[in-house]
Amino acid sequence: MFDQPTGPSLLALARDVLLTDLLPLLPEEARLDARLVASSMAIAERESIASAKLVDDILTELETLYGQHLGNKTGEDEPLRRFAHDFRVGAFEGSPRDRRSREILWRLTIAKLRLANPRFLSANGFT
Amino acid sequence: MAGTASPQSDALARFLAQASAARAVEIAALSPLRGGAIQENWAIDAHFTGGALAGEQRLVLRTAAPTGVPASLDRLQEFAVLKAAFSAGVTVPEPLFASGDAAVFGKPFFIMRRADGIAAAHRITRDRGLEPAFPAIAERLGCELARIHRMHPPRPDLAFLPAYEEVGPVQQIARFRAYLDRHRVPRPVLEWGIRWLETHLPPPVEPVLCHHDFRTGNYLLDGARLTGILDWEFAGWGDPHEDIGWFCCKGWRFARLDREAGGISDRMPFYCGYEREAGRAVDPQRVFFWEVLASVRWAVIALQQSDRYMIGGERNLDLALTGRRATECELEILMLLDPGGAPSDV
Repeated sequence: MFDQPTGPSLLALARDVLLTDLLPLLPEEARLDARLVASSMAIAERESIASAKLVDDILTELETLYGQHLGNKTGEDEPLRRFAHDFRVGAFEGSPRDRRSREILWRLTIAKLRLANPRFLSANGFT
Repeated sequence: MAGTASPQSDALARFLAQASAARAVEIAALSPLRGGAIQENWAIDAHFTGGALAGEQRLVLRTAAPTGVPASLDRLQEFAVLKAAFSAGVTVPEPLFASGDAAVFGKPFFIMRRADGIAAAHRITRDRGLEPAFPAIAERLGCELARIHRMHPPRPDLAFLPAYEEVGPVQQIARFRAYLDRHRVPRPVLEWGIRWLETHLPPPVEPVLCHHDFRTGNYLLDGARLTGILDWEFAGWGDPHEDIGWFCCKGWRFARLDREAGGISDRMPFYCGYEREAGRAVDPQRVFFWEVLASVRWAVIALQQSDRYMIGGERNLDLALTGRRATECELEILMLLDPGGAPSDV
C-alpha cells in the first residue's frame, strides 16, 4: 500500500546522511545535538519495525501467566497495568507463578532495550 | 548572550557591585554553560573595581531552568547548602552571593567562583591518561563524601531541609509509587523493585547531610586534581549509605560499567577514603539496599526528565531521550535482584 522506500528505510538513510555528510560540517557545539538526533532516528527506526511484535509477544506471555484472554481490554496498557499492580502487592510471591512472572520482566526489559539501546544491552552481556 | 552590554548584564553588574562593595563592575562576558540538565549555569567574566573581589573574576551564576523535576531545592536553599559544605571543608566552588530579586536576572540565582576542570562523565570515564590516577581520585571522593556526612541535623542554617522522617526510604517508596500511579505507561519492573525495597528496609539510622546526587558528572577534575563537588540541588538529610549507593550504582558508571565506583575504579579505594575520613566502616548490605533504590530513583528521575518534554513542553531532545534510560535501570534491578537470571531463550 505504501510507497518505497519504507519509513524505516528512509530513517536509516537519513541518519547515515546526518552522521556521514552533515555532522563533519557542523560546529563543535552543535555536534552533541546532531548525535542525539541520530540516536532518536535509530530508536524510531527500530521501534517502527519491531514494537508491534513486542506488544503481541508480551500480551501472549501475560495471557499464559493469567490463564485468560486479555487482548480485548479497553486500553492497550491494561494487561501490563494489571501485571505491574500484581508486583506491587506481591501477588506472585510464593506462588507457582513467581518464576514465570519474573521471566516476563526479563523478556519485556530485554526486548525494550533491543529497540532503545542495544549497545547497553551488549555491554551487560546480552545479545 | 555572550559579551557585554544588555539590560540583563547591566542589572547583574549593579548587583555584583553592591554585593561585593565594589565601586564598579564591568561584565566582559556572560554566556550559558552546557551540561546542567536541571539548572542553568552562566559563566561570567568580570572586572571588579574595589571591594571584596577587586580585580578580574571568573564566576558562575546558577539559576533554575524553565522546567524542573520535583524534589530539588530552590536556588537560595542550594546556596545555603553550598555555604555549609564550603564551611565544612568540602571541596566546592566558593559560594559568594545570592538574590531572590527577579529584577536582576529574571529569577532567583546565586553566584559562586568558577572552578577549573571538566565534569563531562563520558569524557572522564574514557580518559586513558587519567587511569593511573583514578584510584586516588576515588579515594579523595570517598574522603569528600565523608566530610559532607559530618553535618548532622539540627542546623539552623539548613532548617528548610525536610526532616529525615519525611524523606527516608519509606517516604521515598511512597513517592515512587505515587509517581508511577500518575505515569502514562505501567512499569512492572520498577514495581517489583519497589516491592523488594519495601520488604527489605534497613534498620533506622542517625541521619546526615547527603548530597543526593554525588556521582561522576557532578565533580570537576582539572587533570587529576579534584576542584569541586557540584550540583547540590537535591541535598537533604539521609542515610550516609544512600550517597555511597548512588555513587556506585550502574547508572553512573558511564563508559566503564565494570568500574563499580563511579566508572573510575573498583569500590575499595572509594570505601577506604570514606572510612578513613568518617572513622566508621561502610556496610555493604546497606549499600546494596541503597544501590537498588538508586536504580529505582534514577529510573523515576529519567521518566520525570522526559515529562519535561511530554508534559512541560520543554523543547529539548536530550530530556526527551532521557526517559528511555529508565529501562536501563530496570535491567540493572533485574540483574541485582533476580538470582535466577534471564531465561536462557531470551
